[in-house]
Amino acid sequence: MLHSQLPWWIGGPALGLCVVAMRWLMNERLGVMGAWSDIVENVSARRLSFGPFGWMLIGLVVGGAVFGLIAGGPDFHGYGWLTATFSGTGGTIIVAAILLGCGLLIGLGTKIAGGCTSGNGLSGNAMVSPASLVATATFFATGIVVTLITEALI
Amino acid sequence: MSTRVAGALIGVVFGVVLSWSGMTSPEVIREGLLFQSSYLFLFFFGAVSTAFVGLRLLKRKAPPALLTGETVQWETVKPERRHVAGSLIFGIGWGISGACPGPIATQLGQGIVWGVPLTVGLVLGILLFGRMQSRAHARPARRAPAKSPVVPSPRAADATA
Repeated sequence: MLHSQLPWWIGGPALGLCVVAMRWLMNERLGVMGAWSDIVENVSARRLSFGPFGWMLIGLVVGGAVFGLIAGGPDFHGYGWLTATFSGTGGTIIVAAILLGCGLLIGLGTKIAGGCTSGNGLSGNAMVSPASLVATATFFATGIVVTLITEALI
Repeated sequence: MSTRVAGALIGVVFGVVLSWSGMTSPEVIREGLLFQSSYLFLFFFGAVSTAFVGLRLLKRKAPPALLTGETVQWETVKPERRHVAGSLIFGIGWGISGACPGPIATQLGQGIVWGVPLTVGLVLGILLFGRMQSRAHARPARRAPAKSPVVPSPRAADATA
């Protein structure tokens, strides 16, 4: 059952309710980038105590693990078009390097923009924050264009 | 219940839903961005519209937050150059990898090894931003900036992060 994709009209609203819960319980804007930052900033200050956002990130990892254990592992192998394009030992190194670069762009870009797909995309748009509407339009448009370019190149 | 426990529980629900809906899989994101499947956009629409209705109700009532007691309220943010510039950089990484901060965390949880280089990069990106921020604000401003800075001041970043 867990290997069939959750219908969007259940999964979507469930995420939306997480945003509402965060606001109602502690008046905070749910954002996963804020959660990563909480961990990174505390660890680099040599502290191992996290706020609610750091604990949310730990919860996310646990949630992924719980799903993986119940569903018997992830339902995909390799890493999409990247491992399909770059195969073999050399390919593994190339894909890892590309993903490292992508992680850097994702971390830096979302910090500059003050939010990611959850902070700006979900929470900010639901708050009808103009900055989040602009940010979401920008990353969706960029994501679509970049995906189309890579699709045309391979 | 402490806010930490609540944060962790919300994280677990969020993580299970992200995993179960396939958002952890780069293929699902890619099919969405290539318009081969409507799932990504419908899922996103379902999430935003539910959160929108819930937040409207909260804003109208402005109740005390259940755990902290402070009044539930928020300010909206005006668009600045950094929102476009940052989202452009993020969009490139998202388009190539099909990953964003939430799914990277659930990839790690599911034991997907490819989540490791993504995580290392993400952490480096956060650290790089911190360095850019301290450098930008350590430098004395020669004249008043005509445009909004691409790297926000620490206080502005905290307000929106």
